[in-house]
Amino acid sequence: MDNNNFLAAWPVVAPGIAGAVFGVGWWFWVDAVVCSAAAVPFLHYLPGFFATFAALMFNCVNREDIGDSYYSPYDDSEWRVKLWLFISYVVSFVSLAGAVGFLVQDALTDKGPSAWTGTAGVLQCVFVLVSGLIYWTCHSED
Amino acid sequence: MALSRSMRTCLHSGRLALLAILVSGGIVLQILACALYNNWWPMLTVLMYLILPMPLIFFLGSDTSMMSNGGDGWVNFTKFLTGASIVGSIAIPSILKHAGVIGWGALTMELSSFVVFGVAILWFLQMNSEDEYSSVF
Repeated sequence: MDNNNFLAAWPVVAPGIAGAVFGVGWWFWVDAVVCSAAAVPFLHYLPGFFATFAALMFNCVNREDIGDSYYSPYDDSEWRVKLWLFISYVVSFVSLAGAVGFLVQDALTDKGPSAWTGTAGVLQCVFVLVSGLIYWTCHSED
Repeated sequence: MALSRSMRTCLHSGRLALLAILVSGGIVLQILACALYNNWWPMLTVLMYLILPMPLIFFLGSDTSMMSNGGDGWVNFTKFLTGASIVGSIAIPSILKHAGVIGWGALTMELSSFVVFGVAILWFLQMNSEDEYSSVF
């Protein structure tokens, strides 16, 4: 019955785990910026900020709004929620792609940020988005 | 083993005193980590320690227990902050060590201060949930 206990305890600890993962993501980036010998240009900060913004965006929607548990012929606002979610997905994928692009660029050139900065940027994006997902799983299990 | 009422009160205040000693021990470790090396950078971790006991402060008097199925938005957000501050109190000393700002001794003292605070908070939570069954006051 361990699975049952885990499922029951998940909504209790999920916000904490989401916070921890979010912290891990951002602190990796802080470490890379602090320990970088070369100055990190502002452009490299953007994937992290956009990933955080996307995580915030898709946590703003209620899960029930997009389910088809209730259907009313007078309610046509479902498309707005779906558009909001779509934009947040696009922003998150673009930020992930940007971080990977910066990693490749950092690994190829010697001047400019080191490969650790690029790696930390990718880790930051991944962890921030995963943290947003974890938080989303808990806040609509009423 | 049924304790008399006065014995139970004595044990309870003994536990509270031990808890206070733990917390002050944690504070001492934190300050020592800076003072012994004359390097006050590790005090940044205090920022994280301020956020750490937030759920306790918020929910000590309220009805909703922390272990209940969290549907309330603010409860979830407070837990989020707690998780982030736990990672932050481990991350700040590690980043300072990685950047070469502090040495191994200061890092060890910072991490042990964090462990002491964690033990104190967990013990306090356990004591609180015990009290619900045998209300002393």
